[in-house]
Amino acid sequence: MAEFTLSRRTLLTLFGAAAATPVLAACGSSVGGGSAGSTGGGATGPVKVGLVIPQSGVYAALGTDMQRGWDLWLSQHDKKIGGRDVTTIVADEGENPQTGVPAVQRVLQADQVDVVVGLVNSATALGAAPVVSEAKKLLVVTNAGAADITGKARTPYVWRTSFQNAQVAAAAGPYLAQQNVQGGVFLIAPDYAAGTEVRAGFKAAYEAAGGKIAGEAAPPFGTTQDYQPFLSQIRQSGAGAVFCFFAGAEAVRFVQQYAQFGLKDTVPLYGSGFLTEGGVLTAQGAAAVGVKTSLFYTDRLDNPANRVFVDAYRGAYQAVPTCYSVSTWDAAAVLDRALGKATALDGDALSAALGGVGAIDDSPRGPWTFDGQNPRQTMYLRTVEGTPGSLYNAVTADLGQKAQV
Amino acid sequence: MTGWVAANLISVLNGLAIGALLFVLAVGLSLVFGMMDVLNLAHGALFVVGAYLAAALTGGGASWGAFLGALGLAAVIGLLGGGLLSVMTEPLRRRSHLDQALLTLGVALIVAELLQIVFGDDPLAVPAPPGLDGSTSVFGAAYPTYRLVLIGVGAVLAVGVWLLVERTTLGALVRATVADRDMVAAIGVDNRRVKITVFALGSLLATVAGVLGGPVYGASVGLDSTVLILALVVVVIGGLGSVRGALVGALVIGQIESLGRALLPDLASFVLFGALALVLIVRPRGLFGGRSGATA
Repeated sequence: MAEFTLSRRTLLTLFGAAAATPVLAACGSSVGGGSAGSTGGGATGPVKVGLVIPQSGVYAALGTDMQRGWDLWLSQHDKKIGGRDVTTIVADEGENPQTGVPAVQRVLQADQVDVVVGLVNSATALGAAPVVSEAKKLLVVTNAGAADITGKARTPYVWRTSFQNAQVAAAAGPYLAQQNVQGGVFLIAPDYAAGTEVRAGFKAAYEAAGGKIAGEAAPPFGTTQDYQPFLSQIRQSGAGAVFCFFAGAEAVRFVQQYAQFGLKDTVPLYGSGFLTEGGVLTAQGAAAVGVKTSLFYTDRLDNPANRVFVDAYRGAYQAVPTCYSVSTWDAAAVLDRALGKATALDGDALSAALGGVGAIDDSPRGPWTFDGQNPRQTMYLRTVEGTPGSLYNAVTADLGQKAQV
Repeated sequence: MTGWVAANLISVLNGLAIGALLFVLAVGLSLVFGMMDVLNLAHGALFVVGAYLAAALTGGGASWGAFLGALGLAAVIGLLGGGLLSVMTEPLRRRSHLDQALLTLGVALIVAELLQIVFGDDPLAVPAPPGLDGSTSVFGAAYPTYRLVLIGVGAVLAVGVWLLVERTTLGALVRATVADRDMVAAIGVDNRRVKITVFALGSLLATVAGVLGGPVYGASVGLDSTVLILALVVVVIGGLGSVRGALVGALVIGQIESLGRALLPDLASFVLFGALALVLIVRPRGLFGGRSGATA
């Protein structure tokens, strides 16, 4: 009798677990659109895209911008990419590979998506590369800037529409060398992979153009609240300018403390564009005015595609677009071209089609092409102008077309 | 050479400012853990509540009214939050520290998520009050005026907390509860009230530290865990349940974070935890530990 009860209970538990598994697997990813079937082979069948972006943690603001770029492109193109109806599955990348890679796995396995788009964190992108390669699906990275993603750890299934860390930093090198900065440039970026790539990229380009590095510093990443010791080091070095790379809350603190410690008026501050991009610029306030950064985009770019884009973006979200919005918008634009040509939705067919999309001439960032699997694009030197509450990155100089380095 | 000395004197001065802030942050954690034997991992979240409050109230422009209002409101929220945490941890009194850690960590995660929902994902800045937002020339270099004032505020609070614990009836009651909880109960004092009081005052100091730290650290997602780790390091170095220990621990960490990083820039990531390891090897109970922790 007891045995019978036990086995019935076990059976019920098993049933319960079996019923719950698909429900649990679907949790955490919101399903938009309504088409069913994922691997419809026909050239006009639906396509399912997994948009893996941070919805929680320190990068959540970037995730919002990325989703807006994606949604805006779809709403302007009749919710079709390459003539196919699109179903977007949004999943939370979180802060690190421990959350990001499983999110990629989940959209691939549980949601059976055809293409994965997104990823802010470079470590997540590097961790996701073998996952998509094994599944033979396409991954379009729309932020993560590590060189290895399209370099040493390159796979045919991973393409990037954003930038490479060193590409952005290197663009400012020849410009600063031409300025003939007295005392040389001091280089500062956090001691993690992206910071190291920025320092190496800038240093190589700046020294090749005849510049002299006055000193280098690598503050601990994520745990540095106070930059005074490093600012003191900069003052000691006698440098005539500073080139830096910081993002998020660190960018806010660094730019503010740079002004508070009186360096802003004596030693001009330069940096990779993320220093003053998006929400951080509002928080930096007056301290940011005059800071010069290199990047592939600013909402102040004067070209027809960007004017239309900025107006539409403002209209839809009452906000100005950032480089994060544009990278994801462009991911939709290149997929549109690739899907229009590809005969199938597997990674091999799409990768081959992406290799043949040629010049993207209608991007808000200006014309660009794929060089390898990373954009060859125009870099701009931008200066923060305006007054606190309405600061913006004005275009100061065109630094020319740059490929990944 | 004089330039080198002046630059490092500024680092020493800056270490004092950071140390003052860390003291206000960590002394509450030290008292609650050392005296009431509750490990409160929501301490960092309380700090960030103060920081976001300061950012929200000074968002429309820096003014003394907004800053002092934020201080007052943060104090009230700290008192209430501390009281609530005390009541929540009461059923776990006889259980292990891990159970308390689990509960308070859960509270910290919920608070951090709520703050992110209310205030958004972008980092926020907190302007210093008018008059303190500029720079003062110290040793020939500009130094933020607000940080100079912070040293004074920290000193005043340190004296205040020390007087409260060592020289008042309430302080005597708290110390007596630590020494022999049952005896205090036997003479007719409800020691749960003592615990609520200490918890509320400790949490008040954390939220106030958040407002005071606003102009230095700003308010951002993830700040709670960073400051919690700093506070835990201060408590471990200084020793549990001692105001003097928290003060010395905070000043030591302040110097390590400033002067240590200035002198050894290449080892910046390691000096903090190197110092922690050194203290744990030489004095495992912290510089001023020892008299507490024997309460059980």
